[in-house]
Amino acid sequence: MAKSLTYTIFISLICLLITLTHSFSTETPTDRRILVLLDDLALKSSHSIFFTSLQSRGFDLDFKLSDDPKIALQRYGQFLYDGLILFSPNTERFGGSLDVAGILEFVDSGKDLIVAADAGASDLIRSVAAECGVDFDEDPSAVAPVLFKGIGHSLNPANSLVLKVLSASPSAYSANPKSKLSTPPALYGSSISLVSVVQARNNARAVFSGSLDLFSNKFFKSPVQKAGSSNKFAKSGNEQFVTELSKWVFHERGHLKAVNVRHHRVGETDEPAIYRINDDLEYSVEIYEWSGSSWEPYVADDVQVQFYMMSPYVLKTMSNDKKGLFHAAFKVPDVYGVFQFKVEYQRLGYTSLSLAKQIPVRPFRHNEYERFIPTAFPYYGASFSTMAAFFIFSFVYLYSK
Amino acid sequence: MGKSTVTTKDDAQALFHSLRSAYSSTPTHLKIIDLYVLFAVFTALIQVGYMAIVGSFPFNSFLSGVLSCVGTAVLAVCLRIQVNKENKEFKDLPPERAFADFVLCNLVLHLVIMNFLG
Repeated sequence: MAKSLTYTIFISLICLLITLTHSFSTETPTDRRILVLLDDLALKSSHSIFFTSLQSRGFDLDFKLSDDPKIALQRYGQFLYDGLILFSPNTERFGGSLDVAGILEFVDSGKDLIVAADAGASDLIRSVAAECGVDFDEDPSAVAPVLFKGIGHSLNPANSLVLKVLSASPSAYSANPKSKLSTPPALYGSSISLVSVVQARNNARAVFSGSLDLFSNKFFKSPVQKAGSSNKFAKSGNEQFVTELSKWVFHERGHLKAVNVRHHRVGETDEPAIYRINDDLEYSVEIYEWSGSSWEPYVADDVQVQFYMMSPYVLKTMSNDKKGLFHAAFKVPDVYGVFQFKVEYQRLGYTSLSLAKQIPVRPFRHNEYERFIPTAFPYYGASFSTMAAFFIFSFVYLYSK
Repeated sequence: MGKSTVTTKDDAQALFHSLRSAYSSTPTHLKIIDLYVLFAVFTALIQVGYMAIVGSFPFNSFLSGVLSCVGTAVLAVCLRIQVNKENKEFKDLPPERAFADFVLCNLVLHLVIMNFLG
């Protein structure tokens, strides 16, 4: 009796535990733990508006000096952080075991990165940026006098994942304003990028800014006046710009997920293990967008599904019901083999969706073909008449003598 | 010119007459075979004409229909060669044996045709 009671309690405890674990594991793509590496702890107060806005949005910031010997991104093969902010443009060597390869490994495993450089950007910071397709200008100079103080950079044209967010004005050039120009500057006009973003193929995001001051309280609060115009703004747009940028980079925005991939023949509900050529089928998938706090239905009219075997045989734009359900109906092509349902959705600013589901397609079975086709009746008649003629001929031939 | 046309016509008629008189001396059982071959060829031509009109959709049916006729004709011609007394090549082969071969080949042919027809 007592034993069975203990047993019951044990079982219910286990059930409770499972329920609790499930209730805590709501899937959120937003980063939580962020490591901030600083050159100088004074940055913590001079850039406090930016850090406070991150903290108020629920991020857990861990400030460390960049030469702190205890810096470690991972322990026992697990990453300790979801995001990394490098506000240490002058650091030549990180403390602890962190190096360029470590940061790249961090990004390669889908984590996010903000890098800010300034006029004295070190080789270390430059090489991190170069690995991501961003080349900071060599010349320590001030590109734009307003709101942005730092160095420009150019984007590696071979890298299609990196994108300019803030580019310089058409008349800007990148050079040291204090020295006389003897040769034309290598970077000029709007090809100078001031802030760039990268979204890697694994959806890791990184922001590269040529200016550390871009994030500072001073620039957030300073009034601006557009050159050649009398309009004065009491506050620069920096705060809004940086806030939105940080929301994007830490996956509070533009993060998509696809769930409930379904397909079935028209008029059925069960998913078949195999299709037959020329079957009519329906494919549906639910796509949601993370709004920072909840999953909202994603609404777009450019999501396409492919029916793919080495090349897409069917490419169809899916209709959506504004509640996140995307749907397409099409006919299986007259080709059999192992196909895939593919959704490859890469839209600027959103995480890429890449779904693939394998499905075989078989030809008609021997007994599934049409039988007794009216068009073929003359052929049937001819075959049977030659057979009859054979019999008649045999009799006539044998008894004619 | 006109004279030569008349001559050609007369020649053609003469040729036709000689052919007919020569053919009338052909044994009856060979004539029966010839009739049978003509029937098969004619049926095949009708089917080809029909296919040209309605298109080649049940192509397997068309093939089996036409090939049954062609096969029948070919087998019948083979039988005719073997049972013809004037063919010295087959003088050792009894006509009963030739006919038995013919029947066997026809059975195989029609078996295949039936399988391919549907």
